[in-house]
Amino acid sequence: MALKRKIAYINLSTGEIDIKPIPVDIRKKFIGGRGLDAYLLYNHSKKGCDPLGPDNPLIVSGGFLTATCASATARTHIMAKSPLTGLLGSANMGGFFAPEMAWAGFHHLVIKGKAKNPVYIYLHNGEIEIRDAKNIWGKTTTDSQWAIRDELNDQEVKSMVCGPAGENLVRIANVMTGIKNAGGRSGMGCVMGSKNLKAVAARGTMDINIAYPMDALEYNKRFIDQITSAKVNKTQGTLGTPFIWGATNSWGGIRTRNFQYNQCEYADDIEPERIDEICEETMGPYHMSGCFGCQVHCRAQYKIPSGPYKGVYDEGPEYTSQGAFGGEPDCKSAETILVGNHLVDQYGIDNLEAGSLISWAMELYEEGIITNKDTDGLALEFGNDEALLEMVKRIAFREGKVGNALADGGIAASKIFGKNSFDFLIQVKGMSNLHSDERATPALALNIATASRGSDHLRSRPAIDLYHLPVDVLRKIYSNPIPYDGPLSSEHTEYIGKAWQVFWQENCYMAVDCLGICKYHTTFLGATLPNFEDWTKVLYYNTGLEYTPEEIWDVAERCNMLERLFNLREGLTRDDLEKGDMLNHRYFDEPCKRGAPDVIGKFIDKKKFKKMIDEFYEHKGLDKDGVPKPETLKNLGLANEPSKMI
Amino acid sequence: MENEGKVLVIHPEKCTGCRLCEMVCAVRHDGASNPARSRIRVMKWEMEGMYIPVSCQQCQDAPCMNVCPVGAISRNDELDTVEIDQDKCIGCRTCVAVCPFGAMSFNTTDRKVFKCDLCDGDPQCVRFCEVGCLEYIDAGDVSILKNKEAAAKLMIANQKATML
Amino acid sequence: MAIDVSKQSGAESLRKTRTYGKFRCHNPSCMGRLEPKPGDKLVKCPVCKSEFRVAWIRPDFPRIRGPVWDVNKKLAQEAVAKREGK
Repeated sequence: MALKRKIAYINLSTGEIDIKPIPVDIRKKFIGGRGLDAYLLYNHSKKGCDPLGPDNPLIVSGGFLTATCASATARTHIMAKSPLTGLLGSANMGGFFAPEMAWAGFHHLVIKGKAKNPVYIYLHNGEIEIRDAKNIWGKTTTDSQWAIRDELNDQEVKSMVCGPAGENLVRIANVMTGIKNAGGRSGMGCVMGSKNLKAVAARGTMDINIAYPMDALEYNKRFIDQITSAKVNKTQGTLGTPFIWGATNSWGGIRTRNFQYNQCEYADDIEPERIDEICEETMGPYHMSGCFGCQVHCRAQYKIPSGPYKGVYDEGPEYTSQGAFGGEPDCKSAETILVGNHLVDQYGIDNLEAGSLISWAMELYEEGIITNKDTDGLALEFGNDEALLEMVKRIAFREGKVGNALADGGIAASKIFGKNSFDFLIQVKGMSNLHSDERATPALALNIATASRGSDHLRSRPAIDLYHLPVDVLRKIYSNPIPYDGPLSSEHTEYIGKAWQVFWQENCYMAVDCLGICKYHTTFLGATLPNFEDWTKVLYYNTGLEYTPEEIWDVAERCNMLERLFNLREGLTRDDLEKGDMLNHRYFDEPCKRGAPDVIGKFIDKKKFKKMIDEFYEHKGLDKDGVPKPETLKNLGLANEPSKMI
Repeated sequence: MENEGKVLVIHPEKCTGCRLCEMVCAVRHDGASNPARSRIRVMKWEMEGMYIPVSCQQCQDAPCMNVCPVGAISRNDELDTVEIDQDKCIGCRTCVAVCPFGAMSFNTTDRKVFKCDLCDGDPQCVRFCEVGCLEYIDAGDVSILKNKEAAAKLMIANQKATML
Repeated sequence: MAIDVSKQSGAESLRKTRTYGKFRCHNPSCMGRLEPKPGDKLVKCPVCKSEFRVAWIRPDFPRIRGPVWDVNKKLAQEAVAKREGK
């Protein structure tokens, strides 16, 4: 049964393993996935711990619904203190690992210590083994996974691994499973590397009994119909996530040349339809693939069509790769995107950070802050595709002054590059921003400024704000399950009511991450996709536990507050540019130069922005400094944290 | 109309590899999510992006049926399936050994063999496969549809040739 | 059981608001409803005159592939010039 899955505490220094059940009252309070991870991180780490030291707990989990009879619940969540930001580190990926971990009997892993030599953890039908990884260390992300299968003589083993970048302690290293699924953000691969942990492998044939199987099956059909009939998901299933990039670029919401422009003009060769053509030419008409149990199938398959990597197979590119290797560095070649996507997958680097940091370095090169001396003669110019791809390699292997500096993340690199390099860096809390440009969209700007893991679109982005939905439709969405009668506006350029939308989305996404559901299956890109009410049904049929929509909301609010508490403990202050809820000055000072008539000239009004943050804090029950009020903690049942219940 | 019986048709090129079929199969038959209990399994060649679901073909001259020493396997004429009588089955697994598709499985938890029964005429794998990789259609239609697909390709080729 | 499954959720009730076959103009100050004819490769917004290239997800389901770059760029420049002239 879903409730029977266990938590394992693994100490790599001593080899000790402690396996425990997860009590139902913990489920009621934190559900699972990212929410319970946040509780575990807050309780199992000490203030100021070294992110690369043995005391930083690496927490791996599946969602509560993962591997039950609920669609698209394949998400794996990884949490630790981030070596990139020094604050909350958190990454989430799809694929087939989390379900396999569930069938192996495990739901959460808390990995502490540091192994003397490279090892990997093998989870198998209730048992855990720490195995020697000397034959796997040094291998790329895919080769590592196949080597583990060969070694265990079982082709059904699923692994999450760090690539060479993680081994090299690159602070933007990701965790990968399969060919494309990446837990990209905040350097979780680097934490694995610091523990000499190459991989966690899982294989299981244990039952996850469904509380009401036939009802769960019927409801799942209804749930899937609701999801797949949405226009966004039909589009995703055809073009993959690049469609988001295409639509955003069309009106002018895409970062180009780092942050100089907000639209990549004449980008026909990197438009989603063009990339889809390449996928079709190289893989045939049916070239989409899906994560476990998902009918959206947003991941394309392709072979690189030309150039030195011609014929190499990979998956994606998702919209992040499209921004990272397309718009941001202003390289308008599909081949470059496909190759860049392949390199980050193989080395195990976050594509978003790589593209964003390299584009930043390109701007510094243009400004003369970085010179040929720093780049060993590499012309790090915008639009130089070869330099872009070369830099990916240099970051992964920490080669050269610039490669080595970028491998430590933007803020650390800005201290090496000096001058006013920091002013050009598009980041929040030390984490690079997505390729989106939020200057014309205050709600989205508020989202990235306040996201718990640093600049991030997957924490609280009210993407449907761009659809100009009528206020009554917005009201229907945003006053459920908690009544909201404050202002709402259909205008995405407005500042009114946006704080509530961001607050609502923050709780919605937390709930999704607790359950292990993919965000494309909730109120993210489509207004008609399932949320709180729908989840009560999935939960009931699959686990037998009854939650009300309000209870799920409460869990989400509680877990978001735990993340906030962690960040506050590690030094978050409201207006700090390196560790606060604050945006780079360029959002306020540099108006948009391209895009639709009404987008040109747009920038974020600092006064209104600060007021929006005040409102957001108020919704969350924080004071003006962003610190929770005592009554807020009491209401959320967090007055005694760390409470060490598990 | 003469009843030719319906068959499960697999179009492997359409498979997205999501394995939802495995999950719903196990839940429908055993009330548990566990691919080890699924009657249909998706085989993958990840580096080639190739995913192929494999299930029982309900063979006319079924090796499992022929080889069963206690006659536990028989033909269900109504559904045109090959079925196991669990009361007669002694769990010798000879059928598992002879099946050319690996479609006969042995459940190590319940110590019993199991195979696809087409969910008594409403296969859940088909119902949940939105991409149409799995279909449940009249046996006689299968080749006609393939004829048509092949003919369509020929037609397009002809059109292209005329344009040149 | 406290959970009423037969009841439509808020998300399900919004399903009828979906509009296959139409999309909105990408000019945020316009957002006019555009409905290209089946197979059309280009569409022009009758309200703000922006032009877009159209791609078809399904025969009844178009989407904006991208702007007609030269046309929309010129329109934007004109709009900005007018705004700044005031």
